[in-house]
Amino acid sequence: MEFGTQTIQELLEGYQAKQFKPSEVIEGYLKNISERDEKLNSFLQVRPEETLANAKKLDGRMNEVNQLPLFGIPIAIKDNFLVEGWQATAGSKVLSGYVSPYTATSVQRLESMGAVIVGKVNCDEFAMGSSNENSAFGAVRNPWDLERVPGGSSGGSSAAVAAGLATVSLGTDTGGSIRQPASLCGLVGLKPTYGRVSRYGIVAYASSLDQVGPFSKTVWDSARVMEVMAGFDDRDATSSKRSVPKYTEELSSKRTFTLGVSRSWLEGVDPEVGKSFEAVLEAFKKMGGKVIDIDLPHTRYSLSTYYLIAPSEASSNLARYDGVHYGYRTPSAKSSEDLYSRSRGEGIGREVKLRIMLGTYALSAGYYDAFYLKANQVRRKIQEDFEKAFTQCDFVVSPTSPSTAFKLGEKTDDPLKMYLSDIFTLPVNLAGLPGLSVPCGLDSKNLPIGFQLIGKPFCESDLFTAAYQYEKVRGEFPLPSIAKGKG
Amino acid sequence: MLTREEVLKIAKLARLTLTEDEIVFYQKQLTRVLGHIEDLNQVQTSKEAFVQHVPSDAIPFREDRAQPFPNHEGLMGNAPAVENGCFLLPTIVEHS
Repeated sequence: MEFGTQTIQELLEGYQAKQFKPSEVIEGYLKNISERDEKLNSFLQVRPEETLANAKKLDGRMNEVNQLPLFGIPIAIKDNFLVEGWQATAGSKVLSGYVSPYTATSVQRLESMGAVIVGKVNCDEFAMGSSNENSAFGAVRNPWDLERVPGGSSGGSSAAVAAGLATVSLGTDTGGSIRQPASLCGLVGLKPTYGRVSRYGIVAYASSLDQVGPFSKTVWDSARVMEVMAGFDDRDATSSKRSVPKYTEELSSKRTFTLGVSRSWLEGVDPEVGKSFEAVLEAFKKMGGKVIDIDLPHTRYSLSTYYLIAPSEASSNLARYDGVHYGYRTPSAKSSEDLYSRSRGEGIGREVKLRIMLGTYALSAGYYDAFYLKANQVRRKIQEDFEKAFTQCDFVVSPTSPSTAFKLGEKTDDPLKMYLSDIFTLPVNLAGLPGLSVPCGLDSKNLPIGFQLIGKPFCESDLFTAAYQYEKVRGEFPLPSIAKGKG
Repeated sequence: MLTREEVLKIAKLARLTLTEDEIVFYQKQLTRVLGHIEDLNQVQTSKEAFVQHVPSDAIPFREDRAQPFPNHEGLMGNAPAVENGCFLLPTIVEHS
């Protein structure tokens, strides 16, 4: 039997019917990685022997399929998560060779419920980027078109699932790093509410924005991963004590929703993306839903707000990479001061240095009020825009990305051009809201288009329900030919 | 345009050694991004509070208690240089 195209749901059904064993499934996925990833560069570390040994342990526990919600599910983990014994480079030369001394809570929860890690996947350095071209270990290619980017920063996470190298994957989303690559690779990607999933064991980028979330082929799979992974963790002071619903059990509830659209926000969207988005609105109307116009006047300032707040936090979080306790150390330091500056200067990549300097500038004496404080005040206004919108509608909807996957190198010279690819995702992080990207079509170049549902805090269940309804109407979304062993 | 001196000052504060090419590169890139960010001045703001992310009913408290880390070896194993169980650094104070 060929493996790679299955969903979690399909694999679980197969295990229940004793059609195959975890070791056979995992072997199939490892084979896909060895045969296909040379073209994609999505994996940074694979440990076939350990992975297969873990799967074989599950072979002897086939009677526990119904107790372990992720029994024998192959999962890929973004390389900014710590998993004991595995490397965690976060796509940076600074962390090259770093071996994790403990495991992130999110990963530990998935593993304890039967998931099997097939590898650590590539990403933009320290999760800073929208194309995966900022990785110190080379760009990742989009499985739909190898000349194009898979999106970023979780580009390895999206490429691996789309190409059939893992059933699901984990990523992090600080300004769109799950939803945008999910959209560009034809997958479902969720950025949960701030505080919904523990960040313990994640390499920090911007702590008031970072969230952990899943990539999957279907809404059901996303809901399944979330019901296992979400919830309070006393090792992350920002994680919420709210109970976690059984998301998969709530998917089929019969409800109609009111969607809010901010027309001014949609200006400049690629016409094919715009057309596909309008078709989504029509589909919701046909299901009995309503579409209303709303106003989000401050979202136009999201990019400026984000590029002050995120770099400011990054400049502080990344101060730890100084060549002292772990990571890259320059061979040529003459003093401690020299050691810090040279190790950082030589080890950290181009875009990350830009953001560290932006943040340092914004926080420096004389500029704090004008930049950092101002950005936080505008951030509050963006949040209020959404609060007001949610008095009129259940969700705010938009395309996930203004365009489909762009070509490698197309936007690397101008940071602003690259930043604009996250124009619809940035405000969601700034407001701390959950956002779900769902595939809705293919453009004339056969590249996936996605739309985004944005919900009220901790309303992931509503997002899943609406997206599940839409998925039924849309029908099965195609996979790239590489996922079927071709191309 | 940010001056060369301003870029060097930021790099010093950020503890980043830059090459000559990088100084020129970041002079342009920082100026480009900071130029865009000026649009925030169009927004009228007064004393808006900072964003409250975690709903107040969910702010968790816990006892401030140290817990032993089980994998000391794993932590020290990532150090670039160790001597007698301590992190090794270049000399800070020169002998006279």
